[in-house]
Amino acid sequence: MTIIEPSGNGHEAPRPDGPHAPPPEHTLDEPPLLQLKGIRAAYGPIEVLHGVDLVVPEGSVVALLGPNGAGKSTILKVCSGLLQPSAGEVHLAGRIVNGASADQLARLGVCTIPEGRGIFPNLTVRENLWMATMAGVPLDHVEEVAYARFPRLGERRKQLAGTMSGGEQQMLAMSRALAVNPALLLLDELSMGLAPLVVANLYEIVAQVSEEGVSILVSEQFARTVLGIAQYAAIVLHGNVTREGTPEELEDELSAAYLGS
Amino acid sequence: MQTFLQYTILGLVVGGVYFIAASGLVVTYTTSGIFNFAQGAIAMLAAFTYWQVRWGWGWPAPLALLLVLGVLAPLLGAVLYQVIMKNLRGTSEVTKIIVPVGVMLGFLSLATWIWNPTPRTPRLFYKFFGANATVKIFDVRLTWHEIIAFFLAIVIAGGIAFLFRRTRSGVAMRAVVDDPDLLQLNGGRPERLATLSWAGGAFLAALAGILITPIQGTAMSANALTLLVIDAFAAAMFGRLKSLPRTFVGAIVLGLATNYVIAYFPANKWTWTGAFRSSIPMILLFVVLLVLPQDRLRGATVLRTRERFRMPSLRTAWIAGLVLVVVVWALRTIMATTAINTLAYGITLSIIALSLVLLTGYAGEINLAALSFGAIGTIIVFHYGISGTGNDARMTLWGILLAAVVCAVVGALVALPALRLRGLYLALATMAFGVFVSRMVLTEIGERELFGIKFSIFQGGSLTIPRPEIGPFDFKSNDSFLMLATVVFALMAVGLVSLRHSNYGRRLAAMKDSPAACATLGMSVVRLKLSVFMMSAAIAGVGGVLMSAQLGSVNLDRFDIFLSLVILLLTVVGGIGYASGALFSGVLFGCSILAIQNTLTKLGSDYKSLEAVFGFLVSAVSVMPATIGVTMGKNPSGAITDIVESLEGIKKSKPLMLTMIGLQVLIWALAWQGVINNWHFVIFTAANLLIVPPLGGAVLKNMALKKAGVEPPVPPELIGIDRPFTDDDRLAIEHALGLDAVPLPVSAPVHHQEEAAHAPA
Ligand SMILES: Nc1ncnc2c1ncn2[C@@H]1O[C@H](COP(=O)(O)OP(=O)(O)OP(=O)(O)O)[C@@H](O)[C@H]1O
Ligand SMILES: [Mg+2]
Repeated sequence: MTIIEPSGNGHEAPRPDGPHAPPPEHTLDEPPLLQLKGIRAAYGPIEVLHGVDLVVPEGSVVALLGPNGAGKSTILKVCSGLLQPSAGEVHLAGRIVNGASADQLARLGVCTIPEGRGIFPNLTVRENLWMATMAGVPLDHVEEVAYARFPRLGERRKQLAGTMSGGEQQMLAMSRALAVNPALLLLDELSMGLAPLVVANLYEIVAQVSEEGVSILVSEQFARTVLGIAQYAAIVLHGNVTREGTPEELEDELSAAYLGS
Repeated sequence: MQTFLQYTILGLVVGGVYFIAASGLVVTYTTSGIFNFAQGAIAMLAAFTYWQVRWGWGWPAPLALLLVLGVLAPLLGAVLYQVIMKNLRGTSEVTKIIVPVGVMLGFLSLATWIWNPTPRTPRLFYKFFGANATVKIFDVRLTWHEIIAFFLAIVIAGGIAFLFRRTRSGVAMRAVVDDPDLLQLNGGRPERLATLSWAGGAFLAALAGILITPIQGTAMSANALTLLVIDAFAAAMFGRLKSLPRTFVGAIVLGLATNYVIAYFPANKWTWTGAFRSSIPMILLFVVLLVLPQDRLRGATVLRTRERFRMPSLRTAWIAGLVLVVVVWALRTIMATTAINTLAYGITLSIIALSLVLLTGYAGEINLAALSFGAIGTIIVFHYGISGTGNDARMTLWGILLAAVVCAVVGALVALPALRLRGLYLALATMAFGVFVSRMVLTEIGERELFGIKFSIFQGGSLTIPRPEIGPFDFKSNDSFLMLATVVFALMAVGLVSLRHSNYGRRLAAMKDSPAACATLGMSVVRLKLSVFMMSAAIAGVGGVLMSAQLGSVNLDRFDIFLSLVILLLTVVGGIGYASGALFSGVLFGCSILAIQNTLTKLGSDYKSLEAVFGFLVSAVSVMPATIGVTMGKNPSGAITDIVESLEGIKKSKPLMLTMIGLQVLIWALAWQGVINNWHFVIFTAANLLIVPPLGGAVLKNMALKKAGVEPPVPPELIGIDRPFTDDDRLAIEHALGLDAVPLPVSAPVHHQEEAAHAPA
C-alpha cells in the first residue's frame, strides 16, 4: 500500500465566491472538496459498495438518489469516517483522508447529520448544542445561531431532546450544521418520518447553508424536494453509482429507475 | 436512643463509603458498558499499597494519599481500559463479565503474592489522625476518620453530579451512552472519555478501600477486603448503574441496614446474627435485582459477536469420550498415588465446569456460583446419602441422585425469580446466591432445633464424604475412583453434545441468540430457561459431590465464590461452547497449576540457593489463570477452538494420525514397564504432540506434492532466496499482516487541511 500524493498543491480549501460551483471538470489547482475513487466498503464479510466514484465540487449540493438498501447511507458513512473503506480513496480538498477517524474529520470541518435523528435523546437541548462545540466553536455562538433560527429550541433548552417531536429533533440536529460552519455537510434522510411541510422547511435551510458556500452531500428519498436545490445528482444502485449529472440530464433515468413515474 | 443514634451515624458513614465505591461502578459502566467486577479488587490493592507506603515505608499520610489516590489508582484504571477493557467491544456478555472477573482474580493473587496474607506481625491499618482523634456529636463519639469518610461521600456525590451536568467532558460521557458514533461525528473522542472514566472509577475504588479498611477494623485480608467493596454492588444496582441519586439512597440504606442488625439482633441468642449481617448486602442485591424494573442492557444489542463455536458431531463426541477414558486408564497405570488423586480432583472439577458449558455455552445464561451447588449437593449426600460408618462408609447411588434432584430444585428456586434477568443481572443474582451460601449456609456448623427436630447443616465446619459404591462396584480405591470420575465426565459430555443436537438444544441456541424472537415464535422461554438452569445445577451438584468424595473431607473454603469464578474463567478460556473446554478448565486448575507449583516448590527445596527464584515462580503461576483470562478479549472463542483447528491437519491425514498414536503407545509402554521414568514420559509426550504434527505434516505434504508433480511451496522466510520475490508475494504478506484491511493513519497533509478548513470559518 502506498500513499498516493494527490494532485495539486492543496493546502487550501478555497470557497468559491458565488453559490454556484465550478463544473466537475475542475482544474488541477482546484480539486473538488470531496472525491471518492473506487470506494469499496463492507459490513463484516458482506461488501456493500463495489467501487463507488463520486465528486462533490466546491460549494455545490450533490444529491444521492436510489432505492432502499442501495448503499446511500453507507457512502455517507465512508465520507464521514465512521466506516473505513476496504479499498479506494477518499479525497478531501485534494488530500487523502482514508483512515482518519470520524472525530478527526469532524474537527476538520466535516459535519454529518446521520440517518434517523442526529441528537442525543437523554441530553437536554442545551447539552446537545454543547456537544456541537467539540468541533471548535464556542457554546455561546452555537446557542445564538440555534435559537435565532429556531426560536422553539430556545423555549425548550432544558427539555430532554428525546421527548421533543420529530421535527423539533431534526431542527436541533440542523442547528449543529448551521453553527459549526462546516466545509462539508453530509445529510442522510433529513425527511425521515416528517411531514412534507417540515421537510420543505428543512430543505429551505439547507439551500441557505449552501448559499453560504458550504458543499453538501445529501441522501434523500424525497427526490423532487432535493433536486430543487441540488446542482448535481448521483444515482446509486446495488452499491454502485450508475449515473452522475445535473438533475436535467438525469430526468429520464430518475423517472424510470427511481421515481417510477 | 443512644444505641439508635450511634448505629445510625455509623450506618451513614459505612453507607457513604459504599456510595463512593458504587459511584465508581456507575461511572465506568456509563461510559464503557462494562461492569467492573474488579472494583473490589482495585480497592483492596489500593488499601494494601497505601498500607505499604504509609506504614511499611513510613511516609507521611498526605504524600502517601497523593501517590496512591492521585497517581497510582487513576493510572491503573486508565491502563486497565487501554490494555484490556477496550478489546471487549463487540464481544458477548459472557466475555464482558469474565474478563473483569479475571482481572479481579489476578489482583487477588497478586496481592497475596506481594503481601503475604499471614505476616508474623499483623498488618495494622489506622484511621486518619488515629483512633483517638474523636469528637462528640449528639452524644455519639465519632472518629475524625468516620466524619471525613461521610463528608467525602457527599462531596463526591456533588462532584460527580457537577461533572455529569456542568462540564462538557461529563456531558459527553453521558452522550457516549446514547450514541458513541454520533459523539464522534460531533468531534468527540469516545475512547478518551472511556479511559478518563476508568481512571476516575479506579480512583473512587481506591478511596473507598482506604476509607473502609480501618472502619471495619479487621486485619487486612485480600479476599475479605475485595468482598467488602463487592457489597456495594447492591447500591449500584439500586441506581440501575445509571442514576447517582438512587445509588446514594441505596448505599445509605445498605449501610444503615447492616448496622441496625448489629444493634438490634441479640448476638448471643441468635448465633446467626453475624452471618446474617454479612449476608445483608447480598440479600439486598438479590432483592434489588428482582424488584427493580429491568433496564435495557446495552450489551444485548450486539447482534453478531466475535465468538463462534462449531458443534462436534455425536460420533466425534463418542470417539473423544472413549479416547479420554482410554488415555486416563493408560496414564493411571504409570502414575503415583498423589498424581492419581490430583487428576481425579481435576476431573471432578471438569464435571462442575460441564454445568457451565450447558448453561453458558449452549444457553447463554450465566452462573457465577457453580461450586455453591456443589456445596448443596455435598450437604445432601452427607446427611442422606451415606451408608455404613467408619472405614465401611460408602456414598450410595441414591444419595448422588438425591443430591442432583435437590440441586435442580434449588437451581429452580434461584432461577425462577431471576428468569426475566439476563446477562449481567442474572450473573449478579447468582453471585449474590453464592456469597449467601458461603456466608450463611456453610457457616451453620452448630446444632439447631426447629419444630423439635435437631439438625446441623454444615456439621462442625468440615464434612467427611466417603467414596461411592454403586451396585457391585466399589470405588473406594484411588484408581477406581479416578476411572469413575472419568467415565461420568465422558458420559455427561456425550450426553451434552447429543442434547445440543436435539430439538431442545436448537431451541437453547435460538434462545441464546434472541430470547425476544423466541418468545414471538411461541416458544416458552420461561420453561426453557428454567429447565436448563435446573439441569445445569444438577450437574454442578453431582460434580461437587464427586469432588468432595475425592477430597475425603471438605470445609467451606472448597466452595468459595472465588473458586467458582476461576472455574468459569478457565472454562471460558478453554472454550465455553465445548465439553473439552470444561476438561481443559478442570484439569488446568485442579492439576496442572498445582503440579507446576509443587514441582517448583520441590525444585526450590532441592536447590536451596535458588529457593527465592522458585518461590517467585510458584507465586507467578498462581496469577496464571487470571492472566490467561484477561486475554479473552482478543480471542473470545477460547483456546480449544485454536487447538481443534490445529488438529484439523492431523485428522485429515491417516498416516500422520497413526504414527502419532503408535509413538504415544510406545512411549506409554516404555513408561509402564519402567524403562523410562514419568518425567521422560511427559517430555516425550509433549514432543510427540507438539513436534510430530508440523514435522510430519510438512513431510507428508511434500510427498503428496512430489507425487502430483508440483514443486513444493517455498516457505515464506526463504522467498527471495530460493526464488525471486514477486508482486504476488508482497500482496500475500500484506494480506497475512492484515495491512490491506487496515487503513493507513492519516498522512501529514491532513493537518494542512485543518488550517484550510477552518480558515474561512
Ligand atoms: N450495520 C450494518 N451491518 C450489515 N449490513 C448493513 C449495515 N448497514 C447497512 N447494511 C446493508 O448495506 C446495504 C446498504 O445499506 P444502506 O443503509 O447504505 O442503504 P441506503 O441506500 O441508505 O438505504 P435506505 O434508503 O433504506 O436508507 C443494505 O443491504 C443493508 O442491509
Ligand atoms: Mg439510508
